[in-house]
Amino acid sequence: MAESENGSMALPDFGDSIDALTFEQILEMDDDEEDREFSKSIVYGFFEQADATFKKMDSALKDNDLSALSSLGHFLKGSSATLGLTKVKDSCEKIQHYGQRKDVNGNPTHDNDARCLSLISDTVKVVKADYEEVERVLKRFYGDTGK
Amino acid sequence: MGDLKARLKPLFRRSSTFSSPKSPKSPKSPKSPKTPVFEAAPTGDTPADGQSVSKTSLRLKTKKSPFTIPVYEEKEVPPQLPPLTPIETESLGRGDLEQSPNTSVEARGLPQPSSLERDNPTLTVEAPTPQSRGGEVGGVNARDPGHLAEPDAGSTITSRRPSIADRRQSPAHDNQSRLITSLSQSESLQLQPTATDYFGEALVPAKMQQHKKIWVKRPGSSATQVIINEEDLVDDVRDMILKKYANSLGRNFDSPDVTLRILYRRPSGRHSQTERVLGPEESVSKILELHYPGGQSVEEALIIDVPQRRTPKHSPHLAMPYYLHDDLRPRENGTDYFPPMPLQGPHSPHLPSNLSVSSTQGVSHHPVAHSIGVLAAGQVPKLPSPGARIARHSQHRPKYGRQHTSSPTVIQGAGNAPTHDNLKSSNPQPLPTPPIPEELSPRKAVTPPLPRASSPGPRSKVLVTKRSKKGIEQTSAAPGSVRDGAVPPINVLIVEDNIINLRLLEAFMKRLKVRWSTAMNGKDAVMKWREGGFHLVLMDIQLPVMNGLDATKEIRRLERVNSIGVFSNSASSTPTFANGEGVGVDRVPGIEDSLMNTALFKSPVIIVALTASSLQSDRHEALAAGCNDFLTKPVNFEWLTRKVMEWGCMQALIDFDGWRKWKDFSQTKAAEKAAGQSTGSGKSPKAMNGKVQAGGGKKEKEKMTLALVKENKASSEDTGTSTDTNGDSGSGNEITGRP
Repeated sequence: MAESENGSMALPDFGDSIDALTFEQILEMDDDEEDREFSKSIVYGFFEQADATFKKMDSALKDNDLSALSSLGHFLKGSSATLGLTKVKDSCEKIQHYGQRKDVNGNPTHDNDARCLSLISDTVKVVKADYEEVERVLKRFYGDTGK
Repeated sequence: MGDLKARLKPLFRRSSTFSSPKSPKSPKSPKSPKTPVFEAAPTGDTPADGQSVSKTSLRLKTKKSPFTIPVYEEKEVPPQLPPLTPIETESLGRGDLEQSPNTSVEARGLPQPSSLERDNPTLTVEAPTPQSRGGEVGGVNARDPGHLAEPDAGSTITSRRPSIADRRQSPAHDNQSRLITSLSQSESLQLQPTATDYFGEALVPAKMQQHKKIWVKRPGSSATQVIINEEDLVDDVRDMILKKYANSLGRNFDSPDVTLRILYRRPSGRHSQTERVLGPEESVSKILELHYPGGQSVEEALIIDVPQRRTPKHSPHLAMPYYLHDDLRPRENGTDYFPPMPLQGPHSPHLPSNLSVSSTQGVSHHPVAHSIGVLAAGQVPKLPSPGARIARHSQHRPKYGRQHTSSPTVIQGAGNAPTHDNLKSSNPQPLPTPPIPEELSPRKAVTPPLPRASSPGPRSKVLVTKRSKKGIEQTSAAPGSVRDGAVPPINVLIVEDNIINLRLLEAFMKRLKVRWSTAMNGKDAVMKWREGGFHLVLMDIQLPVMNGLDATKEIRRLERVNSIGVFSNSASSTPTFANGEGVGVDRVPGIEDSLMNTALFKSPVIIVALTASSLQSDRHEALAAGCNDFLTKPVNFEWLTRKVMEWGCMQALIDFDGWRKWKDFSQTKAAEKAAGQSTGSGKSPKAMNGKVQAGGGKKEKEKMTLALVKENKASSEDTGTSTDTNGDSGSGNEITGRP
């Protein structure tokens, strides 16, 4: 753990959008703290994944495809959770739930599809904003420490 | 006051005359006044006397007829003291000492007769003596009337008086007047009897001489007095202190723990002080005389210091762990045939309890019914959330494992009846195996061989070793690496549809240096599983094509149909069971369901669900589907490590033969296998070798435990024996399916 401590000391304050503990354990897996090859590849992989997922979400919104939205939300939730991107994760979970016609807490609702779609639509905006913030922070992080 | 003195003088003289004769030494005393004085002072219990006196004085005051009162009577005498004391100042008392060697006066003020005797020469003049002790004096007088007071004494006495006054005042000054009053009362009580003694017995004085009281206090609290003998050393005083502070100190400290400090008072009379710690060998009386020539005031109480730590009386700390042990024991013993043995009970496939044990393990302390049980019972147990973040950093690991490291004694003591029986039969001794107490507790049962500690610490070490190699992980056997020693050589199937998560888990498995394969969906996972040889499945719940729960159910179904592990012996739940052990032979498993190499399925695979959901319902669902355990995303690597170790160790023990076989096997055919098995897996033959070899080190222990397990459960071995022969074929085959 000594390493993680060292690493964390060097880490910027990610704010509340990123769970430091979770993210640090990924950083911990870097073989080289200078280039952070592994974690960087994970993070940038996530960026790509998120971008792709948002596009799919947009199109699914157009198609009013609730189930697709739900699974997309779940999909992104998994990776964002792994990276400790709590805000993104929470929003994705909402999308997942709304897509299943459930409320935020996962309880079934009787909302009609339109209602669910509008909720999702709002949430997607939120999630994008959250994501952009996180992306900015992370890119700065890797920009700073990277080569 | 002058008047009083004048009046009193005659009285005193009389008394003095009487008293003086007592002490033969007294005549000498004038020359070396101090020494006698000191003695007297200490004996006199200055404070007590003063106080007692004061009381008496009060009474007397009302009477106010000093004249009439004969010296002999105590009452009369005391009255004088009070008036005097206030008048005279401390400085006088102190300063006087030098001037008048007779300092002893104080002593007189002090009740003690002994002092009186010696001092008397000086005292005689002033009578002051204590008056309080007038009675004493009287007694004394009887002895030697011949001694008359020395003229000089008078002046000295007066000066000394003050010191007494000081004492009285001092208590008043103290905020703790209440305490003091209480003290004074108690003291007065004590004194009274003594006083009577004086009158009655000639011997009394001698006794009195030996005792004196000194002020002591704990820092920040009020002073109190302890009685000491003249010759007492500091060491003795400590004993007395402990008696006095029977509750606060006596219970927790021994006298050697106590140190006494003395605060110097300056000759100037100021209280500014430096302090000194008294050595146990020093004489208290002398010290006090030396430093407090005028007598010790309350403010000058010796300070009692005690060490911070408490002496280990019943060592509450130790007690706790043991208690815990005992707590755990019963359970362990109950479940296990061989309590001492780490892995046995829970692991033996035959025991129905297996799964339950396993399920509880990693997760938490809450009892979790095992998933299979859930199927039968239809009830879902409460689930602890393993993912809780708090847990990861907290001290979980060390907690149980370390303590348990069984001292043989503990085991013996704790053992329940059943345990003992077992022990006796197998091991009469306490159990040399301290291997791991953890094992005993159901939760930790799996981990035993592996040092818990490894999880956090080792990781970093590994990193260090790896650093040099940049991004490329050498999965090859690195004998030096910590991981090899720590993690059982298990084969893990990672089922995860999100590439990001998959990559992380893979990277993590690399670090743990365990073999792994991957699957991107449930269907894929089942296919992989059917290849055999997996010990642990990390199953994402929501998967495309076939979700994790369905995949889990399918795997369980296949296990049941093929009578793998527990199911072969366990209850009726499986229709297969009736047909006997024949794996693929029976009609029950359809061809499509039969597994290729049953040898590779020694026990039901452990399925750990991975879910990003925080919902309890999802966890229940997972367990109900047949998962043994679950982790919440984001997966905490420490938790994951723990799971891998716990489950892995359990599996490794169960499948010990398999491991041995694997070892040889993997060396020769690793390459083929890797090719055959994995679509997605990154494992290299090297890695496999490394794993297996690493595992070899522990095998000794494992063998032992396994052997025991086998003895008990011969039946289970049926499938096991076939393993050897089947082993080779197991490598590449998939659905070849036997007829």
